Amino acid sequence: MPATLGRVWLEDPALERSAPARCPVAENHAKFPWVEPTDALLTARLAAGDDFALAEAFDRLGPAVYGAALRVLGEWAAAQDVAQDVFVELWAHPDRYDPGAGSLRTYLTVLARHRAVDLVRSELRRIARQERNHRLTPPQELRSPGDEVAAAEAAGVVRAAVRLLPDSQRQVVELAYFRGMSYREVAQAVGIPEGTAKSRLRLALAKLESVLDRQLLELS
Amino acid sequence: MTAGQRDHVVPPAGLRERVMAASLMARPAGRAIPEVPAISPVEAFSRAADAFYGLLCTLDEPDWHRHVLRDLDVQGLVGHLIGVEDDMARAMAGDPGVAQADHVASTQPAAERQAGRPAAATRADWRQAADRTLETVRETGDLAATVTLWGIPLPLGAMLVGRAFELWSHENDIRRAAGRPASVPDAPTLALMTGLATSLLPFGAIKTGLPGPVNVRLVLTGPGGGTWDIAIGGDGPEPASVAIVTDVVGFCRLAANRATPADLDLYVTGDRGQAAGVLAATAALALD
Repeated sequence: MPATLGRVWLEDPALERSAPARCPVAENHAKFPWVEPTDALLTARLAAGDDFALAEAFDRLGPAVYGAALRVLGEWAAAQDVAQDVFVELWAHPDRYDPGAGSLRTYLTVLARHRAVDLVRSELRRIARQERNHRLTPPQELRSPGDEVAAAEAAGVVRAAVRLLPDSQRQVVELAYFRGMSYREVAQAVGIPEGTAKSRLRLALAKLESVLDRQLLELS
Repeated sequence: MTAGQRDHVVPPAGLRERVMAASLMARPAGRAIPEVPAISPVEAFSRAADAFYGLLCTLDEPDWHRHVLRDLDVQGLVGHLIGVEDDMARAMAGDPGVAQADHVASTQPAAERQAGRPAAATRADWRQAADRTLETVRETGDLAATVTLWGIPLPLGAMLVGRAFELWSHENDIRRAAGRPASVPDAPTLALMTGLATSLLPFGAIKTGLPGPVNVRLVLTGPGGGTWDIAIGGDGPEPASVAIVTDVVGFCRLAANRATPADLDLYVTGDRGQAAGVLAATAALALD
């Protein structure tokens, strides 16, 4: 808000006495150039600190943003987090949206997909790290309920991402990560050499990112 | 079906509230971005004076004799502003004679005295008068102290912002008369000007007889703008609500009575008649 100027005195008896009974301009407003709402206007209002504009943006675009995140993640809690991040980003940096580059709907839904994919990647890396650590360290004490919930959410995110992979790669990832099989067990279950199982698993993890990137480009 | 349509899913209950709360934690409502550095009212007046003087230094001799406002040519208008600085000095000294004086009548002799003088002399006299105001303010001025000038009691800080508004308006009067492009104050000065204009809006509503009460959300877009919630009008039935969005510079031109509502791009929600009344009240803030 602008700097305070101090209290402004508004009481002026002379003005009160001279006030007209009606406001003529207020009765002749039909010719004013009222404009229609646009994405550029909405973001200009956001930059000006108009929180009504943010509520309008959510009411109009919230379903699309939430839906875009949900489609990638397949999990409602994580999709809500992504939708929240997207609208906080819009409120904090409305200037990053360029009306000349496309609609606000497109900008926000692409942002939601990017955030969702980032979340999937991050969870995949975390799960992979946990898996490696698990195999290198002795069994630990039972995890806390909070850890169990977090792990369950992470697993949901990973499953949603893995569903996007081709069948052959999805199969080895599911066996290795969701069923806890070793490379040898995966190889036996699928009927391929162990070296092939290892390379297919590495390829699956790498390809997962590639698949998600390609999806993003197509949807953009 | 497009990708956008496929993605359209009704959000869970409560997500809207979560989004609003998290966003307003990141930036409170009403705070415009990019943030504008705060300057003092003294600095705003000083910058407006420098801009005005800078323009005067570029005028050719014929420009000084172009008609600009009322019965004044450019030289007469600068004379009027010398008179304004004289009145300001008297107001800061607490002279009751200037407190209720008429803005035009009080300064008309100073305007008329410029006729036939060299333009450079008028320009130098104005610079000297403006510098005298700045010196007085810097040496003895309490920005919170009330100063009454031409029937308008304001804190000295607000009065100086109003004076910056006045100099910018007249600078652009001269620019228009001389065929020069319009100027726009810097964002920190605009922020002070919009703050003053919005705080005085109920005063303008009294002048124009806006039927109240009205709750106005005023959103001024662009650097130096912001968002204000203003209650106008006294007691009465349930207040009407109206939101007005327009460009900050256009709004300042309206407040200076240098533009009409028809010159602005206006986005309004609520009662358009009340919105038009608020805009008329804004234009009524100007003295000339």
